[in-house]
Amino acid sequence: MPTLCRRSLIATAALLAFATGASAQTAAVGQLAPAFTLQDTAGKTVRLSDFKGKYVVLEWTNPGCPFVRKHYDSGNMPATQKAAREQGWVWLAINSTEKASGDYLAPPQLAAWLGERKAQPTAVLMDEDGATGHAYGARTTPHMYIVNPQGVLVYAGGIDSIPSARGADIEKATNYVKAALADVAGGKPIAAATTQAYGCTIKYKPS
Amino acid sequence: MPQRLPQRLLHALFFIAASALSTGAGAQFHLKTSAAAGSSTVATPHVQAELVAQAPDGVGPGKPLWLGLSITHQPDWHTYWKNPGDSGLPTQLEWTLPPGMDAGEVAWPVPRKIPIGNLANYGYEGTVLLPVPVTVSPAFQAGPLAKEVTVQLQASWLVCRKECIPEEGTFTLQLPIQGTTALHAAAFAAAEQAHPRPLAAPATDEGSSAHVEGNALAVKVTGLPPALHGQTLEVFAETTGVVETAADVVQQWQGDTWVARLPLSPQRSASPDPMPVVLAHGGQGWRVALPVASGWPQVAAPATVSPALEAALRANAADAAGAPAPAPVPAGLWLAALGGALLGGLLLNLMPCVFPVLAIKVVGFARHAQDRRAHRIGGLAYTAGVVLSFLLLGAGMLALRAAGEAVGWGFQLQSPAVVAGLAALFTVIGLNLGGVFEFGRMLPSSLASLQARHPVADAFLTGVLAVAVASPCTAPFMGASLGLTATLPGAQALSIFAALGLGLALPYLLASWLPGFARALPRPGAWMETLRRAMAFPMFATVVWLVWVLGQQSGIDGAAVLLALLVVLSMAVWALTLRGRGRAVLAPLSIAACAWLVWTWGPKITEIQAEQAQPAIASGAWQPWQPDLPGQLLAQGQPVFVDYTAAWCVTCQYNKQTTLAGTDVLRDFAAKNVALLRADWTRRDPAITAALAQLGRSGVPVYVLHAPGRAPVVFSEILGAQELRAAIANL
Repeated sequence: MPTLCRRSLIATAALLAFATGASAQTAAVGQLAPAFTLQDTAGKTVRLSDFKGKYVVLEWTNPGCPFVRKHYDSGNMPATQKAAREQGWVWLAINSTEKASGDYLAPPQLAAWLGERKAQPTAVLMDEDGATGHAYGARTTPHMYIVNPQGVLVYAGGIDSIPSARGADIEKATNYVKAALADVAGGKPIAAATTQAYGCTIKYKPS
Repeated sequence: MPQRLPQRLLHALFFIAASALSTGAGAQFHLKTSAAAGSSTVATPHVQAELVAQAPDGVGPGKPLWLGLSITHQPDWHTYWKNPGDSGLPTQLEWTLPPGMDAGEVAWPVPRKIPIGNLANYGYEGTVLLPVPVTVSPAFQAGPLAKEVTVQLQASWLVCRKECIPEEGTFTLQLPIQGTTALHAAAFAAAEQAHPRPLAAPATDEGSSAHVEGNALAVKVTGLPPALHGQTLEVFAETTGVVETAADVVQQWQGDTWVARLPLSPQRSASPDPMPVVLAHGGQGWRVALPVASGWPQVAAPATVSPALEAALRANAADAAGAPAPAPVPAGLWLAALGGALLGGLLLNLMPCVFPVLAIKVVGFARHAQDRRAHRIGGLAYTAGVVLSFLLLGAGMLALRAAGEAVGWGFQLQSPAVVAGLAALFTVIGLNLGGVFEFGRMLPSSLASLQARHPVADAFLTGVLAVAVASPCTAPFMGASLGLTATLPGAQALSIFAALGLGLALPYLLASWLPGFARALPRPGAWMETLRRAMAFPMFATVVWLVWVLGQQSGIDGAAVLLALLVVLSMAVWALTLRGRGRAVLAPLSIAACAWLVWTWGPKITEIQAEQAQPAIASGAWQPWQPDLPGQLLAQGQPVFVDYTAAWCVTCQYNKQTTLAGTDVLRDFAAKNVALLRADWTRRDPAITAALAQLGRSGVPVYVLHAPGRAPVVFSEILGAQELRAAIANL
């Protein structure tokens, strides 16, 4: 048989395989969500892969940020968490504030602050070195992400559609996480898959 | 003339003194009343904010009037521009003005980039004035006795250092109707100076433009003032969430044209066209709205597996496990995918585009039929060749995926160069099978005998060839399995590719080990040569198909160049078989002609044809698919059937000519008013790739029936008329 042709085919296949190198990139909607392993506020190890087969909401949070307080003091974030949990979703609140920041709360204080506001995340995770935040390209608190049961990132953006620090705007705004809950419950793809996150800059550890 | 100059100076001086006096009076008046009617200043621990006005001719219809909020920040604190960047909020102004007065948009001065770690904001430090032009129409009537008019402002701003404080204030200001208000004239003048000027875009094609290039927006701006040439410019995108705020912009001057690459945000949330951008240097700015040539690629669609498909995968998992699997545990899903991949590989043997390879395999088989041991080793070597090639292809695909390329199974055939290469390859194979030349004559005898002496290596290479030829024909049965590999870690994804290869190799392997299987095969004899000659025709048929595919991609010119190339190539191959003078003359000549053709006309083949020749022309009841179209039609209550197809996909063409062209089927579609959409994936189209990913597939064909308020129905790849009509009847 035509050895010549085979050789060139092998070369072509090899070229196809190695012509493009993989590069480290920020998470993007439609692609695999970056894996992470973090400690929760009780010191328990939590992995994203623990929840494969379920929808997972990631919420970047920092109680020192007025935008986060807007959504917790109004009860909006806890209500959204409750709705998601009732639909069988997992909710992971992640704090990427560095230890040196004035906003930093130690795990017990963070858990207590959230507890006082009747927050119901599945777990509250500490990301003091910011590695997970950087992997997701999280910029603000709050910054919301949704990972589907196959581990693919299906939403990245804000909690709602009106960027403001005023609690009064919550009622007028579209809550994107609740909209995603409704879309998925209706068997539809998430309509608003990327939106503008708004809030305070995450106080990352200087790299 | 010399005498007049002092006179003019005097006039000017008098005017300045008069206006200063009147402003002073105005200011005093204002100070007197402000206590009663609210304040024009608000002080917080972080900013000092003041409502100011500029009305040199007093307040009246047609007279220039500017209002503005002047913010003086404490050191290290800042407020934000209209696009705040990675976080923050733009300052918001809400006016309460008397009837007849209308506030315009804030004339934002050029901001400054404020980096915070690896993020960045656009905003202002120190003192900034946010001016707002106010038009006063004839409807404005202050009343005969009114001496001043009251304006009110409700402003909210976010002031940040590292921490952020949302603040707001209510401001009130009385403006004298008759007198001059110009106390802050200098500040207003400075703000006007710092407001970006619109850049007049030349009307020709040579004007400013932008286009998406991978992960960046390539930008070209012409018509900038000559003083800027050679300078490094600051760049501010006006739309939030498009570019990476913190990233450095690679820029350079090409003559008087400024070109740059703005890195796009991987989580881009807007697609502005035109794209407004402010370029700044030395505190001055120029604003340009860049038309985005060829548009924005669709923002990556959510890759969700449709509920129907998920259910199917679960059913598969149950079947594969042999027992009802309770929940879709990851391991169960993986097993199901492995089973599906194995089955898909088996069926691949029967697919029409694998047929030529099957023929090659049969020839190879007959050669070893008498030697059981060689036979078995050959079978194993072939299996190894197939599986390794699949692993290589899988690794390549994973690498491409990681690189963010919009690729799918069968993506090779979306590149015209690959199509042309394959056509040339199949021509040579066809010539060889047809007996035009033997490889022994062309290759050094050592190499040829090496092949003969190593039947194991030969079998291995046959396996590699089988994969190379089979891969373009999307193994449609494993669409779901392949979609799943996108969501699996590398090792598991590769195991699925390995199972696929094993399935393809299995019949051959079985035949080589089970005598019964092998015995069913005919004995070697003279018929082998006849069969080999006959096999040349499927090869040439494949070439016809490849030329047709290339014609879809590069047009008639590209196809003609390819055919010419094939003729010259055939001649070169033939010339090499000659002896003596004929060979000495013809061989170099034809090889040179071949090289010349590739060199001068090769680009014709690879150049993708312009939009107008796109085969996505509405034909009959079918409309070309567009990303938003199914959603729009569904919203209007109309069911939608989508045919995801490609010219190079044989199964797609078969279905298109048979089931989808059937009068019964078309009548059923018409009866239920189903919109028929055709998504043509012959060329790489990110929107279609994204839509396929949404269905959990990465190849064509895919047939989907969407009905309002129901889960989409995904049909099998070899589309049956009965299956389709049953689904339509259910609507």
